[in-house]
Amino acid sequence: MTRCGYAVELAIPDNEAYTALVTLVRLGIPCARLDRADVWIFDVAESAAGDLEAQLRTIETIFNPNKHVLVALPQARPRPGEVWIGERAEGPDQPVGGTQRELQIAGRRLEGVYGVRRYKGWRLWESEARVASAETIAKAVETLLCNPAFQVTIE
Amino acid sequence: MPGRVAVPVFPGTNSEEETVRACLAVGLETRLVHWSAGPKALLGYDAYVLPGGFSYEDRVRAGAIAAHDALMDAVIAQAQRGKLVLGICNGAQILVESGLIPGTGPLRRPTVAFAPNKPNGRFICRHVYVKLSVAPERCAMTATLRPDEIIPMWASHGEGRLAASHDELARLDRAGYIPFRYCDRLGNVTPEAAPNGSALGAAALTNEDGNILGIMPHPERDAWTYQQRDGAVRLAARGDATRMLAPAGGIRLFEGLARALGVRA
Repeated sequence: MTRCGYAVELAIPDNEAYTALVTLVRLGIPCARLDRADVWIFDVAESAAGDLEAQLRTIETIFNPNKHVLVALPQARPRPGEVWIGERAEGPDQPVGGTQRELQIAGRRLEGVYGVRRYKGWRLWESEARVASAETIAKAVETLLCNPAFQVTIE
Repeated sequence: MPGRVAVPVFPGTNSEEETVRACLAVGLETRLVHWSAGPKALLGYDAYVLPGGFSYEDRVRAGAIAAHDALMDAVIAQAQRGKLVLGICNGAQILVESGLIPGTGPLRRPTVAFAPNKPNGRFICRHVYVKLSVAPERCAMTATLRPDEIIPMWASHGEGRLAASHDELARLDRAGYIPFRYCDRLGNVTPEAAPNGSALGAAALTNEDGNILGIMPHPERDAWTYQQRDGAVRLAARGDATRMLAPAGGIRLFEGLARALGVRA
């Protein structure tokens, strides 16, 4: 079993990220740019990992080639300047689906996939060339991006 | 003259007309105030009713962006002076995100959430009943309701499940922060009555002072006799247009608001 991560990013203007950026700036967070991604983390059998990206590209409710870019993450954790926000698991912290059976996503069986977690990824930039500091990200999380009553952050 | 109510409208709000109509029906002088009018436009009112919808398209989280809107600066300031604030559905989500309810933490640092519905996170549109679960006088807007009063409403949301830490939920339960719980038609509060898996069966939240109330189901969508799901109620009014168009059901909550403002509905 191996863990693979994919970020589904918008190739078209992102209204949600724009609104969040405007709000963060209004709150005094030093942020020049904000990128949003739909992040999927899969627990997948070694033998199926190579085919996973091709499978994802055929699930139109996850990836629409007309408006999305599918990015294979080098590691299943946030990139520099990025924070992932997910819903807090109730009970033991296990991936959805556990390890007993292959998962169905959007009505489709994903071959060799036994666990999945989904996050909203926010990547903050202090300038076009420099990602935000950990301090800035923490402020953004605390003031807007996460409601700790039901969400968790992965930085 | 008391009874002047503002209904703030954010981009994506969609229940403002029904809300205004219900307020007018109970004798409240009611005005819509669009977000673009700015916070000063909210001065001079006795109460605020935040209607349902999808403010700012629920971007980031339901109610999160609107909670930081300049318009909410005014609502928060007026609420802290003791003015009445009622939030319905998205309005309740905004009140939670702004920290006004339950008000157990700093402003705009929510200690609870109206989180995605359980079990599957899907949007639900379902007729429900809610039961007054605290002493009526615990909240200004419920003070004239009967103890254990049952009110019909429509639940219409994707994110209406009360979620919080175990400690916070215990505190809310103990101290009467949950004025309404989902129940069946006979008033039995059961897990099955809650359409969204809400903790403690909660349908609403109030604050310590009881001047703010956020409720997830829509009373204004079940506020006239012709909207009642109870067939006997509609049957009794059949053939009588005046009775069919008369206020009923969810209008009780608006009557409570009016009475709290000193207006006789």
